[in-house]
Amino acid sequence: MPILRTERLEKTFDTSGADTSVVAVRDVNLDVEAGEFLAITGASGSGKSTLLHMLGGITRPSGGRVLLEGVDLASLGDDDLAAIRRRRIGFVFQRYNLLPELTLLENVALPLVLDGRNAAAADAAARESLAAVGMDHRASHRPDELSGGEQQRGAIARALVTSPAIVLADEPTGALDSANSARVVELLQRLVAERRQTVIMVTHDATVAAAAGRVVKMRDGRVAYDSASVEVPVS
Amino acid sequence: MRLRSLLVRQWRSRPGRALAAAASVAVAVGAVVSTWTAADASRAGYRKLTEAVAGVPSIDVTARDGGRFDATLVPRLVDVTGVRAVVPLFYRPTLLRVGDNRLREVAVGVDAGALVSAGLMTLTAGEPCLEFDEVVLDATLAKGLGVNVGDEVLFFARRRIARMTVTGLADTDSLRWFAEGATVVVDIQVLEAMSLSTVEVDRVRVALTADADRERARLAVAERLPEPLAAEVPVGRASMADDVLHSANLGLDFVTSLTLAMSWFIVGNAMLMNVAERRRGLSLVRLLGATGRQVRRLVMVEAAVLGGAGAVVGAGLGLAAAGPIAAGISKALHADATALITPPLLLPTAIVMGVAVAVAAAWWPAREATSVDLLEGLSAAPPPPPQRSARMLLVAAGVMTVLTAIAEVLMAYGLLPPRASVVSGIALLLAFVAVTPFLLIPLVRLLGRLVPSRWRVEGALAVEQIARRPIRTALTAGVLVVAVSNGIGLGHAIRDSVDDVLNWYGKMLKADWVLTQAGALSVTREERGADSRRMEDEVRKVDGVAAVEGISLATGRAAGMACVIIARDLPPEGPLPLEPVDADEPQVRQALERGEAVAGTVLAQRTGVKPGDDLAVEVFGRTVTVKVAALVVDYTSGGASLQFERAAANRLFGMEAADVLLVTAADGKAASLGEPLKAIAVEHTMLLRSFAEVRRFIDNLVSGVVGSLWSILGLGFVVGSLGVANTVTMSVLEKKRSLGLLRAVGMNRRQVIRMVVLESLLLGAGAGIVGLVAGLSTALFIQFASQPLLGHPLQMRIRMGVVAANLAAALLVAAVAAWLPARRAVRLDVLESLSAE
Repeated sequence: MPILRTERLEKTFDTSGADTSVVAVRDVNLDVEAGEFLAITGASGSGKSTLLHMLGGITRPSGGRVLLEGVDLASLGDDDLAAIRRRRIGFVFQRYNLLPELTLLENVALPLVLDGRNAAAADAAARESLAAVGMDHRASHRPDELSGGEQQRGAIARALVTSPAIVLADEPTGALDSANSARVVELLQRLVAERRQTVIMVTHDATVAAAAGRVVKMRDGRVAYDSASVEVPVS
Repeated sequence: MRLRSLLVRQWRSRPGRALAAAASVAVAVGAVVSTWTAADASRAGYRKLTEAVAGVPSIDVTARDGGRFDATLVPRLVDVTGVRAVVPLFYRPTLLRVGDNRLREVAVGVDAGALVSAGLMTLTAGEPCLEFDEVVLDATLAKGLGVNVGDEVLFFARRRIARMTVTGLADTDSLRWFAEGATVVVDIQVLEAMSLSTVEVDRVRVALTADADRERARLAVAERLPEPLAAEVPVGRASMADDVLHSANLGLDFVTSLTLAMSWFIVGNAMLMNVAERRRGLSLVRLLGATGRQVRRLVMVEAAVLGGAGAVVGAGLGLAAAGPIAAGISKALHADATALITPPLLLPTAIVMGVAVAVAAAWWPAREATSVDLLEGLSAAPPPPPQRSARMLLVAAGVMTVLTAIAEVLMAYGLLPPRASVVSGIALLLAFVAVTPFLLIPLVRLLGRLVPSRWRVEGALAVEQIARRPIRTALTAGVLVVAVSNGIGLGHAIRDSVDDVLNWYGKMLKADWVLTQAGALSVTREERGADSRRMEDEVRKVDGVAAVEGISLATGRAAGMACVIIARDLPPEGPLPLEPVDADEPQVRQALERGEAVAGTVLAQRTGVKPGDDLAVEVFGRTVTVKVAALVVDYTSGGASLQFERAAANRLFGMEAADVLLVTAADGKAASLGEPLKAIAVEHTMLLRSFAEVRRFIDNLVSGVVGSLWSILGLGFVVGSLGVANTVTMSVLEKKRSLGLLRAVGMNRRQVIRMVVLESLLLGAGAGIVGLVAGLSTALFIQFASQPLLGHPLQMRIRMGVVAANLAAALLVAAVAAWLPARRAVRLDVLESLSAE
């Protein structure tokens, strides 16, 4: 059974001030197996980020279903969805999104604190997660004291701290130079290889995408190419 | 790390934001505390004024047919709610000899010991008179005569001449409420014995507590009285003071309620901005798995902590500000003894309210923070305001307007008390504030076109800043809208009311000298009538007197309602001393001469009497049916009066004696009348005042009341400016990134200052215009609402001075409020600003 499945997934946005609506994602069917490293690529506006947001329960689909470990995300209320995001999904963003007033350790521990873990246990798990990405020596630093690459590695540590079923990364290298990009991609590859961590990454960079084991290409909201699929849909 | 420490970290990393939020609560709580305390000082001052005019609030037990009565007929009254003391009074004109001076004075018999211990008579020296040969003198009289405690005086009574020792000197003001005109106080049994009049009294004055409902107490006392006795409000006393002060109290209620509303806007705005600025952070926390409840709790806990801290500071500041304000108001009201009143529960209540208001104000932004789309929350640009907010505001405005209209109709029909006008007035104002976002932004765009072309860029950016955040704009502007509409609405209402009272007063009282009855009101009517005519003749014979008009006053009942019966001489020529409503003056004069009556508008309003109606009027136990010729504006006894021509009133009810004599001097003779009139006044136990004295007293009363209201309105503007300054500061903090960007693309420091100041000025001008419309509507509303109180419409005029002063104040407040934030904006480090969240 795939860890993540989408069935006829669709997302339509109403444009403000006009009667028309825009279909961002249409009829997307995907199966993602545990331990898979999937890259979603496509041009700007192809619907790749919207697809990722639906997979993470950030945006609710207009049609179809997202099943994470067999649970239909659309059927969950806000609190249950928050719990899924907290425990089963890790997020990595292009702009890192670390809270500036917290240290790196506190940022990483935050999902566990939100989940009600005691401070000591959360700190211990956060240190372990930081060590896994090679950032434990910077634990007490604030985000503005870190380089972009270090911040992103911290963000990955935060995404991993709850041992999620899946890590969703939205252009994780988009704000980094090539050396830092390579380091982040390498880190993600290592997580998949060593921890059998499932990673879904959105990127417009073909070099970065090539590091993934599977590549899905989006065009006009549809899956235009899936490297895992024998059959290539005609757009 | 615990979730709570996230808050602490946020405060430490952005202390300005937390301080500004706490400061908004401090300003709001400080405003409420100082306004409330100042309003209490005003009320205390008003009470002192009422006491100065009407004496201690009281009701009189008198014989229905006038004259003295047996004191034993009066049942026990001290247990009636609101009754402070029961004081039997016995008056007697007497002759006093002090050294070589012989004086005609009025003596009043009372239980002096009881009065002093009840705090109803204040002795400036000595002890109360308790024994047969003891007397207390008016301190002013004693000073004039050079008499001190322990000196002896000769007291000439009907039965004998007594040598009496002065045991005490009484404060003149404290004598006034029960013995106006009387200067000699003797034990009541002593005075009765000396006057051969045992157990009889002229009246029993029932002193009420300051907060007692006079009408309710009167009814309760009346219920216990036997048939020959009646309970009435002392004639011709409380009337005008009560009336002016009733309106002023309504004004105070209105102002304090508006301050509360302003405080809500200030705190609401601060909390909204505090949450809005952290939109991205809160969305991120949600994205990482925080539930809506967790985020809401975080925001609420923050609001409670900041609210508590702000409330403590605000309460202290409010009390510190209230001291000088209360002192100023007391001075304006000529009430020296009005000290700062701090209710013991004020501080804890203020702190609890500060926390409660902060938490309540944070509820909506917290709810919005948890319902906003996560992606929108994470985006750099703020999301557009939800459509449902606009709908909710419009619905709220509609509901409040309808409720105000319903309340207005119910008040017009007397189904709601006049005090309901405070609540409905506030509702009307809130309706205006609710529609402010819809009016303000087009208005600001229009005003933006007036910005000189060389500042077009700054102007355009300022307009866009205002337009992008309509809710915040509305709340910021709301503070100014309330301040301006308050100033314009109440400013007009105050001026209209004062003009109405002064206009009436000017028509009613035209004379150079005024003689009023002192204490001896209830000598038998026949006796007094004859004495009064003699006195009038004596006054007429004084060289230099051009005209004498007598006014008789009595309590009566018309259509079952207690009212004042006024009988006055009509001047043979010139305008009537009346203000008829929709009636022809010559016809009113003819009708009065025929024995018809004119009714005060309030009496007409309350009894449903119309011109042409026949009315059963009971005076001195005699009931006569009279025709109502017209309605007149009258402030005597709150307008519940019935007026007659004096000769007709004498025919109808036997009202002959004049309680008030208006003496007009021949040209250039006014000053010379003082001495001879004083002699007549002493002879006939009347009180003489020059018209200038009376007028000065009225002017002082009115200007004191008006001044106290203006000072509290001014306080509203100070609060408004602090509120606006705070929100503009927060706005600058929130726009740190945008300001950094503008600096980065080449905007110089001066342009940044101009942009921030222009934003505030445009907001102030827009709010001023909305406030102007709201204020004029409020003035109109107050005018309608005061009709049931006054019984006649007030003449409303647009007063350009009031309008201009308020608009100028709004602009000044906006400009001053923007200056510091603008300076702060230019000091921001460009790089730091660009990296701001």
